[in-house]
Amino acid sequence: MSALTGDTDVFTAERGGDARACIVFTGTRQDVLPGIYTETHRQAILEVLKELENEGWLLNQRCVFDPYADATPMALDTGFTHDHDIAGVFEAPSLDAAVAGTVRLEQAGWSRAFRTEWMIGLREFAPVFGKGAHEDHGWAFMALWEWNDQWCEATREERDEYDLECDIAFKGDLDHEVNISGRMRLDIAHGWHHLGYWEIAGPDVADSAIRGHETVADFKFTTSRHIVGRVLPLSSLIAPKHDDRKAANV
Amino acid sequence: MSEHTTSPTCAWIHYARPRPHWYLVAEADKAALKADWAKVEDKARAAGAVCTGTYHIRGQHDFETVSVWTFPGSQAAYEHWQALVEARYSEFFAFTNNIGLEVAGGSDG
Repeated sequence: MSALTGDTDVFTAERGGDARACIVFTGTRQDVLPGIYTETHRQAILEVLKELENEGWLLNQRCVFDPYADATPMALDTGFTHDHDIAGVFEAPSLDAAVAGTVRLEQAGWSRAFRTEWMIGLREFAPVFGKGAHEDHGWAFMALWEWNDQWCEATREERDEYDLECDIAFKGDLDHEVNISGRMRLDIAHGWHHLGYWEIAGPDVADSAIRGHETVADFKFTTSRHIVGRVLPLSSLIAPKHDDRKAANV
Repeated sequence: MSEHTTSPTCAWIHYARPRPHWYLVAEADKAALKADWAKVEDKARAAGAVCTGTYHIRGQHDFETVSVWTFPGSQAAYEHWQALVEARYSEFFAFTNNIGLEVAGGSDG
């Protein structure tokens, strides 16, 4: 596949084999009453996640950095600062498998627990390691972004100059011991053009790194939405909010 | 459910509006760009894609038009979009897109 823009010092196109699909999601709890979403649904979702893993899905971004890492499905707990409660990134063998997999999760009971935006696309750039930061970080930062009208109007030279300026900020991110799991391209099926997923030590790291992006005027040519969350097992993030036994009374 | 088939029919819904600098492009250049994009669409149709039409929705939406397509698989939809990007379409039109697989028997009920 061809990337929207060329390689830079920090980023290179994903090499080898077919491009993998990515599934970026944000979900907001909607099981406000007992009986809507139960432990039975949670077990059905976990079963689908196991099937997807067996079909070649990657449900834990840690494995992008370390193929031998624990593959337990993980997501971000985002409710403390965002109107959605969870967010995350999966990877699937193909676009069709990605779309079909989200439908299987929804039908297993996910749609009862969450109002979800599934953003489906393709991996574009290879992962990048921060300096001395090869271990699990515990937190993650997701940046959804699009090229704005000003970028679209700019000349090739202006865009190349901008890319090099942003590379300064990305090198600064790596100095913050941030691991970047490549870049996902979402424009085939969403208004956001890209996602960047970072492993970070905590919310303060995201704030400090983004100040570096502001310094180089990253946001001159892009509009973005940033999501920070603690990385937790999906099995606990999808736990029902209500006791099943009370559902019979509803 | 169609997860066990390799290329289920994929709907691709494309919303668009001109970016501001489109209004400054010379008419001849606009015509050349539109001709390039029409060729991309013809190629998609020749490969099995179907467009049911492009509809004006400015009255109820941030975007000006919506086009509804079906493709033989989401990869084919992606390749069509990529061809439009390479033909500079997304430089001149802001967009949002959706892909979807046909639902058999409605949602989870």
